[in-house]
Amino acid sequence: MTPASFPGISRRRLLGAAAAVGGLAALPACGSSVEEEPSGKGGKGGKRAVKVGLMIPQSGTYAGLGKDMKQGWDLWLARHGGEFGGYKVTTVTADEGETPQTGVAAARKLLQSEEVDAVVGVVNSATALGCAPLVAEAQKLLLVANAGAGPITGAKRSPYVWRVSFQNAQIAAVLGEHLAAKHGKDGVYVIAPDYAAGAEFSAAFAKAFKKAGGKVAGSAKPPFATTTDYQPYLSKIRASGAKAVFCFFAGAEAIAFVKQYEQFGLADSVPLYGAGFLTEGAVLAAQGKAALGVRTSLHYSDQLDNPANKSFAAAYSGKYDTPPSVYAMQAWDAANVLDRALKAADDTSGDALGKALKGLGTIDDSPRGSWSFSGQNPKQTFYLRTVESKGGKLVNAVSDELGTTAQIA
Amino acid sequence: MGDWLDANLVGVVNGFAIGFLLFIVAVGLSLVFGMMDVLNLAHGALFLTGAYVGAAVVGGDASWGGFLGALGLAAGLGLAGGVLLSALTEPLRRRSHLDQALLTLGVTLVVAELLVIAYGDDPLSVGAPPGLDGSVPVLGAAYPVYRLALIGVGALLAVAVFVLVERTDMGALIRATVADRDMVAAIGVDNRLVRVRVFAAGSMLAATAGVLGGPIYGARPGLDATILILALVVVVVGGLGSVRGALVGALLIGQVDSLGRSLLPDAAPFVLFGSLALVLVLRPQGLFGGRGVARA
Repeated sequence: MTPASFPGISRRRLLGAAAAVGGLAALPACGSSVEEEPSGKGGKGGKRAVKVGLMIPQSGTYAGLGKDMKQGWDLWLARHGGEFGGYKVTTVTADEGETPQTGVAAARKLLQSEEVDAVVGVVNSATALGCAPLVAEAQKLLLVANAGAGPITGAKRSPYVWRVSFQNAQIAAVLGEHLAAKHGKDGVYVIAPDYAAGAEFSAAFAKAFKKAGGKVAGSAKPPFATTTDYQPYLSKIRASGAKAVFCFFAGAEAIAFVKQYEQFGLADSVPLYGAGFLTEGAVLAAQGKAALGVRTSLHYSDQLDNPANKSFAAAYSGKYDTPPSVYAMQAWDAANVLDRALKAADDTSGDALGKALKGLGTIDDSPRGSWSFSGQNPKQTFYLRTVESKGGKLVNAVSDELGTTAQIA
Repeated sequence: MGDWLDANLVGVVNGFAIGFLLFIVAVGLSLVFGMMDVLNLAHGALFLTGAYVGAAVVGGDASWGGFLGALGLAAGLGLAGGVLLSALTEPLRRRSHLDQALLTLGVTLVVAELLVIAYGDDPLSVGAPPGLDGSVPVLGAAYPVYRLALIGVGALLAVAVFVLVERTDMGALIRATVADRDMVAAIGVDNRLVRVRVFAAGSMLAATAGVLGGPIYGARPGLDATILILALVVVVVGGLGSVRGALVGALLIGQVDSLGRSLLPDAAPFVLFGSLALVLVLRPQGLFGGRGVARA
């Protein structure tokens, strides 16, 4: 068929429209919502109040994580009378969106128009780094409850930014040592998406793995967020002759990778290891049987056998009808840490809270097990988790402890 | 060397699976644009609707009944959606593409948000029907049966659409409307019905592609934009309003996406749009597009 002319159609316009679609991702993240009536802020007569900005993704790729975080946060407050250290808590939720463009704008709004006393949350590492100058300028505390980039709490960290979650390199390094002992001489293939977090995981894994005598059989960096078909990479893994694979994927990519790893016949012959996000939360159910036997490293599993976790997991499942994910646990712990800090601090300023956090010592009632701040990042134990079927449901059973680490330079 | 060849031959097979799926999505977009001069950015939303129908009806443990039922339901929703979109865009036909883009983009946002409200933010997976959910050895490596079946179904649909558009009276009318709809109207043919039908059929294909793609892509927020951009690339590469262009463009982009990643891993993010840019430089009207497009 050889069609003739289309008056009025210009290629430039079509491409412009395509670009507009690409820009879609930047659209959301404008809304924020206040819960509970603000009561006379810091007033002397009545009850003291603290206003906390909960910044979590409510739209885009990470919206599922944001939901878990909100639930963990809400659950802690509901079980502790809605108070932090004698302060009545008002939570202002803001949508972080997917990118620093939306996230930093949301943080600015929280600090400037909502005038919150502290910001909690943040999933995206670039957003966390972008928010650091904002909170420093406002002299408010930013309590990071997920974003894992090293520099957030690294050597050049802001004194106002503290993290209750993890550093990417921690998760990868402990698994690197473990795999070096187990598959070191056979060769391990390293694969993670081509963006900042993927690079951190790959580099930290390879460093610890090689240092412990392991041999890297090959590595790959699939484009981030646009790869849905992993066949080219799976063929490369097969051709490399590696005896195990270390990977970092999360969300929809984790589902696609684990399912295709099984469909292309690698699951039976080459054991798959990864950072815990590979099989965490909602993605595990979506992966289904393909995930059986996948082993991951993380600082939490809802299967952990300790009293704090048992009561947390039971309360969470009871309220939300789903087991808690690491994201929910991190938000719960953020609330717990903020409660302790406000108890110890003179006021709600970033400086006072930072000083209080420094003196917190061991957090002994966390569902992840005891941990403490080392610098401004958790020093905590990591677990080797294996996906097993338990009562017809897939769970991350705890197989081993991989050791305790603090921030890795 | 043998391993290298094996790995890349599997890549070629895989490129066909992706390519045929892209064809099913893109052919509707191409015809609607070519014949009605309507830029339908809601095309991705139709695919997404199909994907969620698949996730809701089929779920993780697929049965043939469920899978075929999902295909039927998606086809019905696609038809209805197409008729609705056709009615919505009709008043904007004489206006600029920006107006159409805004309207259909708005429809996309609304549909995507409704799907999130109904099914939540978490990515959902769709199983392949029994018998197609395993793997078979292809060139020495395991390959999912479903993707092979997808190649078959895609090829069948491609032939059907091709014969319909190129070899039937109805097809002749469609092609004539693409070429010059005013002339078709001037010789006394009421082509409004043709337009609605093409819009509906194209939308139906996009929605069924959502179900067919389910076992590979699953259903998740944001999938609509990913697919729409791929489909737009296919349409631009292949040329507007041409079934042949959509087929060649889709198969080409499938190969570029699959093979490009294994041959040029470091350039993977640029391969897709690099090939688009190359086509635009060498043949601005697309591989099978008429010259008028470049001029306009």
